[in-house]
Amino acid sequence: MTRILLRNKLDDCIAAWQKAGFSVFAPVRQHEMSSFGEVQKASDMAFDLVLPERTIKDHFFPQTEPLIKYKIGKQQIDSETMTPPDRKRVFFGVRPCDASGLAIDDPLFGWDYKDDYWFRRRDNSVIVTIVCTEADDFCMCTSVKLSPESDKGADVMLRPLANGAGWQVEAVSERGTALLETIPSLLQENSEPTAPVPQVAEKFDLEKVMEWLASKENFESQFWKDISLRCVGCGSCTFLCPTCHCFDIQDEGDTYAGIRRKNWDSCSFSLFTMHTSGHNPRNTQSTRWRQRIMHKFNYYRGKFGVNSCSGCGRCTRQCPVDMGITETLQAISNLPR
Amino acid sequence: MIYSPFPMRVVSKRAEAPGVNTLKLEFVKEEDHEFFKQNYKTGMFGLYGIFGEGESTFCVASPETRKDYIECTFRQSGRVTSTLANVDAGDIVTFRGPYGNRFPIEQFEGKNLLFIAGGIALPPTRSVIWSCLDQREKYKDVTIVYGARTVADLVYKDELDEWKKRDDVRLVLTVDPGGETPDWQDHVGFVPTVLEQAAPSPENTIAVLCGPPIMIKFTLVALQKLGFTAENVYTTLENRMKCGVGKCGRCNVGSVYICKEGPVFTAAEVQAMPQADL
Amino acid sequence: MGIQEQYRSEAAALLSSGEVKLVIGFGEGSTADRRRPLFARTPEEAQKFVLDAACIANLSTYLVTEGLLSDGKKVAVFLKPDGIRSVNILISEAQLKPDQVVILGYAIDKAEITALEGRNISDFSLGEEIRSHTPPPHILQEAERIEEMNPAERFEFWKAHFSKCIKCYACRQVCPMCYCRRCIVDVNQPQWVSTSSHTLGNFEWNIVRAFHLAGRCAACGACDRACPVNIPLRLVNYRMGKEVIDAFDYCAGENSSQKPVLASFKQDDPETFIL
Repeated sequence: MTRILLRNKLDDCIAAWQKAGFSVFAPVRQHEMSSFGEVQKASDMAFDLVLPERTIKDHFFPQTEPLIKYKIGKQQIDSETMTPPDRKRVFFGVRPCDASGLAIDDPLFGWDYKDDYWFRRRDNSVIVTIVCTEADDFCMCTSVKLSPESDKGADVMLRPLANGAGWQVEAVSERGTALLETIPSLLQENSEPTAPVPQVAEKFDLEKVMEWLASKENFESQFWKDISLRCVGCGSCTFLCPTCHCFDIQDEGDTYAGIRRKNWDSCSFSLFTMHTSGHNPRNTQSTRWRQRIMHKFNYYRGKFGVNSCSGCGRCTRQCPVDMGITETLQAISNLPR
Repeated sequence: MIYSPFPMRVVSKRAEAPGVNTLKLEFVKEEDHEFFKQNYKTGMFGLYGIFGEGESTFCVASPETRKDYIECTFRQSGRVTSTLANVDAGDIVTFRGPYGNRFPIEQFEGKNLLFIAGGIALPPTRSVIWSCLDQREKYKDVTIVYGARTVADLVYKDELDEWKKRDDVRLVLTVDPGGETPDWQDHVGFVPTVLEQAAPSPENTIAVLCGPPIMIKFTLVALQKLGFTAENVYTTLENRMKCGVGKCGRCNVGSVYICKEGPVFTAAEVQAMPQADL
Repeated sequence: MGIQEQYRSEAAALLSSGEVKLVIGFGEGSTADRRRPLFARTPEEAQKFVLDAACIANLSTYLVTEGLLSDGKKVAVFLKPDGIRSVNILISEAQLKPDQVVILGYAIDKAEITALEGRNISDFSLGEEIRSHTPPPHILQEAERIEEMNPAERFEFWKAHFSKCIKCYACRQVCPMCYCRRCIVDVNQPQWVSTSSHTLGNFEWNIVRAFHLAGRCAACGACDRACPVNIPLRLVNYRMGKEVIDAFDYCAGENSSQKPVLASFKQDDPETFIL
């Protein structure tokens, strides 16, 4: 016997979490875009998505984050460090790939210097994932050794019931257990079968890819130029990526006051690495694309023991010129040995 | 909190060369100063800023033996440095750091030291030079080879005079051909050439080399000719940085984060990096 | 012979004769309904070209890639009328030399694809077609709906959409007219446009983009399709284009000898917008 949460109890569930001090976030569709947004009731949620267009990352590492407020006076400059809101949040209906993305980024934001802006949000959030029942042509979690039922980054994992009436519920972390303790009366013992998990075919041989990337002689291979020829150098793949974490720090305001902000930045942009002198270590799109792939499947692993990709496939799904990680890694995987 | 800088009061500003200034900064808050005193080692860098404009990365040019203040020397080129160049004594700027690794000068003890710098790259070298000269007895022969494009471009002119006068320092000064003035009495020629002529012995010697990439490239060749091994040559790398603490994702050369694993590297470490990413 | 085969062999011939150094066309995409830009430098590579009704991207954007045409050699490119229109605009703005581009033209009408006669930009006369062209009914309907809104409602509509913007600049990067090597948003002395992607900063960027494209847009829809957060940029472009037609009787890209409307002065230009 396992515990289940019925779909028709979801409104009560949201109310119970709100009563326990949580704001509840879930996939929503608003203004022709799907993303995670705050919900008040079950009908606010968009359950029919394979994956929202925007990632859950937005709520932990927002596209623009105020760091410091400053005032420039005649005699002095006053500054005040701004702290992110520390409200308790439940993220409901997160896909395993997006939850994995958070877990993948934790060591980066935590190594040595701890990024308080990330961790304050992480520490106050509970991630409730829903195992996938559907995958599209771009899903590639299995290719990066995750799966539609991975519990990485999850606190509570829900498995949809085959009859569609609700979800089998399982806490996979202490935080998850504590969350379920706020809704004991809404869970019931049941042995309904769960819906089958989709088969997501592996699209490339990850081991082979990593081996090729690790080989120094391939760094200057013609491969990088050919594969990135059509890249237009926008930042959509990086900004929609659940693990891309690069940022810029910018002051903005008027002569007298303003805010220092941490803004998303992208290794696709030519200005990303440009020195003031005009020298640019990565001065072509091919070197920038190489950086993105190397960072995700070589450098990051070297530092944190994990690849910086959770296989959501958004990079390809949304690319204006149909590029993406899958094509590149497939091509590497298919190179003759 | 991470990314929150220390307020710093400008003690003085000194014009070094056309477009190049040195700021001497003191901590406004005692706890910030304590933190700096406990953590700063020569070679580390910081992000110097001014609210409303942003932050810019350069080394701490003052030595670890003098931690009452911070000195930084920079060329006016972008938005932040242009504003920093226009501050006056008493103004408040900001400092975030010290970040990065350091020159392992305790490992240099008992050895000869050869410092080689080009142009605006004397500041990082100067931090090490004074850190060693302030404990002169720990090191053997000290040679400084410094070159700039023109006589006007030489920075720390007073200190160059001071080193020149010292009998426990050998100073080799040079300017690029065409950069000399009528009364110039030192060398004329590029740093690698002048270095080869000066021919310091590689025996029991550590070389510290800072300069623009093109100078580094040719000076490394000269050092090799002189018999220096890549393990005994130290240098610093710089790249565009925003966070300084290994998160913003832009300063890496290959897998190496300049801000965390650098900015100080041995020539051997630099040679192991993908050269196309430099 | 279908158009795909025809253009494959024509591309191969252009490459093998050395007339062009590169042919920019379409290849298979990552799914059955996707086509992706394909660059062929050899006759063999030209055999991979695909040309069908799914080839909707405006490939002229690659013609302004830094350094592509600086060696004086020719490039051939697959273009629909909106791409040809873009080439006209690029020539009129001195970004392309007419004799450097060989056009493999085609038109899509519903699922039907046909070859267009002519290879040189001067072979195509688009004037009448552009003038008489009306946007698809769904755009007109949307545009009308917005026109009918009161200013507060209209502001809320755009606020909702621009709030979504993440400043990935896909709209800019896919646009053939956004050829500036350093975009105004990337200039920081002074910082004209905020780099932050909050609602105000997003408004700034989207308004600057709209203004910079007024009287220059070829209405290819590339920006609208590229936007990963589905901002209806088609409506912005349509409205700006209409404004320019009404004010100056000017349609960008009718031919390549036009003088860019906002960069040229006529005695009888309307001055109603001058306060």
